[in-house]
Amino acid sequence: MQVFSVPKSIKQNSNFTFCSGCDHGVAIKLVAQTIDELNLQDETIAIASSGCSVLLYDFLDVDCLEAPHGRACAVATGVKRAHKAMGNNKFVFTYQGDGDFASIGLAESMHSALRGENITAICINNTNYGMTGGQLGPTTALGQITTTSPKGRNIEYHGFPIKTAEQIALCDGVSYSARVALYDIKNIINAKNSIKKAFEYQKKGLGFSFVEILSSCPTNWKLSPKKSHEKIKNELTNIYPLGVFKDINND
Amino acid sequence: MSYIKIDKNKCKSCYLCMDVCPKKIIQKSNELGKTGEYIVEFKDEKNECLGCAQCAIVCPEIAITEVHKNE
Repeated sequence: MQVFSVPKSIKQNSNFTFCSGCDHGVAIKLVAQTIDELNLQDETIAIASSGCSVLLYDFLDVDCLEAPHGRACAVATGVKRAHKAMGNNKFVFTYQGDGDFASIGLAESMHSALRGENITAICINNTNYGMTGGQLGPTTALGQITTTSPKGRNIEYHGFPIKTAEQIALCDGVSYSARVALYDIKNIINAKNSIKKAFEYQKKGLGFSFVEILSSCPTNWKLSPKKSHEKIKNELTNIYPLGVFKDINND
Repeated sequence: MSYIKIDKNKCKSCYLCMDVCPKKIIQKSNELGKTGEYIVEFKDEKNECLGCAQCAIVCPEIAITEVHKNE
């Protein structure tokens, strides 16, 4: 019996452009598996963003749009509303990095959440700007060394990092907000359940659903893939605790 | 007999599958991959593979394309 196969929503013969050991690939695989399980491939419109996630349309076999830097949630709002006005109920989700969602696009993201826009946002948090060479981002942890904070992030000069999932959970229009990680099998399965729940909430029309995924960046952290996962497990989960911060069905 | 299939063109030598395999039957091969490092191979001489699919779940490149489990 075949227990694993390449998800149908992944384009055949497409190779991921990510660095060796990057968790982006796992996240895209989980998204594709969820689209398959919920049978959403024909009605999905994915919104790609700038950053490492920019080539999403090369891997996912669904309709994709490319948003300007940070504006994925704004584009998703337009797509969702335009299709709704025409009588189509499309499934719309964004796939963004932390620099895109929580830095340049914070206004768009936050206001989509505040309005309770019926879309899903997936944010990959790897604590730096991965594609441009690992600069300090809004989610960089205190003390973390990046190319633009060679002595480590300090409060006096750079300020505090943002905890996206908690911030989004405070918005009234949000149906689901969770932070998950991908450093071991248990957490990968948890992450998949969270993504599935977020997708289902959009299908039910409950409002903005959000999943933040703590992801490794072996190249810019200058660690091996295995050590990057250990860093997430031992260090990052203390700063960014995992869990569900808002679930409209449980509140 | 359980077995997996590895797409050699997709493997980027991160070795996460080697760490997670409970039977340690995924090993480094002598073949160089695209990243210039040795890619992994499936070597199951004693038919130890459980078909647990943990390797396929952690593989970031979906290079482990098929897992078959014997019931």
